Amino acid sequence: MQEQPLNAGRPGRRTFIAATLLALVIPGTILFGVFCLGDRKYYFISLLIMLYSMLPFALVFERRRPEARELLVVAVLAAIAVAGRAAFFMLPQFKPVVAIVIITGVCCGAEAGFLVGAVAGFVSNFFFGQGPWAPWQMFSLGVIGFLAGILIKRGFLKKERLPLCLYGGFSAFFIYGGIIDCGSLLMFTPYFSWPALLTVYVSGFWFNVVHAAATVFFLFVLSRPLIEKLDRIKIKYGMLES
Amino acid sequence: MKDAFSTFHPVVNFTYFTAVLLFSMFSLHPVFQAISLTCSVLYFFLLGGQRATRFSLLYLLLFGLFMAVINPAFNHAGVTILFYLKNGNPITLESILYGLASAAMFMAVIMWFSCFNIVMTADKFVYLFGRVVPALALVLSMALRFVPRYRVQIRVISTARQGVGRDVTNGSVFERARNGLQILSMMATWALENAIETADSMKSRGYGLPRRTSFSIFRFDRRDRAVCGVMLLLVSVVFAGAITGSSTMRFFPSLKLPPPNVFSSGVYCAYLALCLLPVIIDLLEELKWKRIKSGL
Repeated sequence: MQEQPLNAGRPGRRTFIAATLLALVIPGTILFGVFCLGDRKYYFISLLIMLYSMLPFALVFERRRPEARELLVVAVLAAIAVAGRAAFFMLPQFKPVVAIVIITGVCCGAEAGFLVGAVAGFVSNFFFGQGPWAPWQMFSLGVIGFLAGILIKRGFLKKERLPLCLYGGFSAFFIYGGIIDCGSLLMFTPYFSWPALLTVYVSGFWFNVVHAAATVFFLFVLSRPLIEKLDRIKIKYGMLES
Repeated sequence: MKDAFSTFHPVVNFTYFTAVLLFSMFSLHPVFQAISLTCSVLYFFLLGGQRATRFSLLYLLLFGLFMAVINPAFNHAGVTILFYLKNGNPITLESILYGLASAAMFMAVIMWFSCFNIVMTADKFVYLFGRVVPALALVLSMALRFVPRYRVQIRVISTARQGVGRDVTNGSVFERARNGLQILSMMATWALENAIETADSMKSRGYGLPRRTSFSIFRFDRRDRAVCGVMLLLVSVVFAGAITGSSTMRFFPSLKLPPPNVFSSGVYCAYLALCLLPVIIDLLEELKWKRIKSGL
């Protein structure tokens, strides 16, 4: 059996599956919601759309028959993220999860970044209580890790402290905060309106600021040692990028 | 009292909660909501005991009240205008009732999720999804195992460092923070090295080869088949009722309940039976146990 590098996923095929699935199924679901459910079940429809967008990752990951080493690295990083969340339980919103997900995306590629984010979101719900917010957390953390991997591949992001901190603060505030707050609005009012969304964003502002500050802090402190460790593991055990 | 419903096959548990959660999310009819909310609270009481129920209910009631107030403030649809706000927006009876209905729905969903949390343990989850997505299920089960393991390892490292005066309890605040981060860094190195060794060991024992067998402690027996049959019957009756519109009501522009008839009261009974299913199973089990004990 050939050793597979950690980010040997074929982005071409994943993009293709994802694109066809999303192009056909998402409008279908929205139309189903408008016509069959009277356009009121925003939470349910958005939930379905999120599940569709996570599905291609799961399918490609399974089809590829990943090596044991890949599985272990994903599991370890997700567990470190959750253990980090548990370690800072006394400080609300001050969590290293986003920082660890970003570092994974940067070092191990977009696919691993997405998986670590989604798994960390799911596993932390086993320790802190499952609820209707779980898919939103999985989705937003996954997107943050995926984007970090894409940006570093395209050269928009560098493995340096300052750009990583900038991306971390930005993504924790806008991507994570934006998606989670929208999710909680849809969760407790089935009737969507822009002023209500604005109110939720305003009331969640300081929470998101604390979360973004925590992410910047953890990236500032952790990015260099953690990236070093991951690179070292990749060199030592021959999981080099081809 | 030990919950008997938890001892059923994971497929039964998972199907049950999916059905109940979906019905709770979709029905705005007051009878449906009352059934769902009452039964979920009752089942949570059986599972979690008095204190947990009181705490959750208090917390949820506050949240529900907040939601019931928020909805009429942003939603001005409806024909029965009660009064006008200072900025000229009307507050309508319909939007207040709609806010109350959605608050009740949210509370029922959260209560069902709390029960789900207790019944669907992580091993059941991994068992269920191990067939559909084996690689991801393995990642999930390993990550679940690693979290408590890392906590233990952090304790081991910090005890060792305490011996040389470099623990989080030693030194100034700045030194403490630095020591804490160093402990985390050691833990990360240990975890990654350890993971690679586990992976190599898995590979040498044939991970990923075809014709792999899996360990499972769950068996789908006669009892599971019986409950599954009852559940599917009830779900199809309720589903038929939902399609014909007896599970929902119209709020805007004016309130309108579907007229009650024989069929819809049958649907209500089926929904009540469905929501009470775990409670009924628990009570039957308790009765059986009492009878056997008194026969001794």
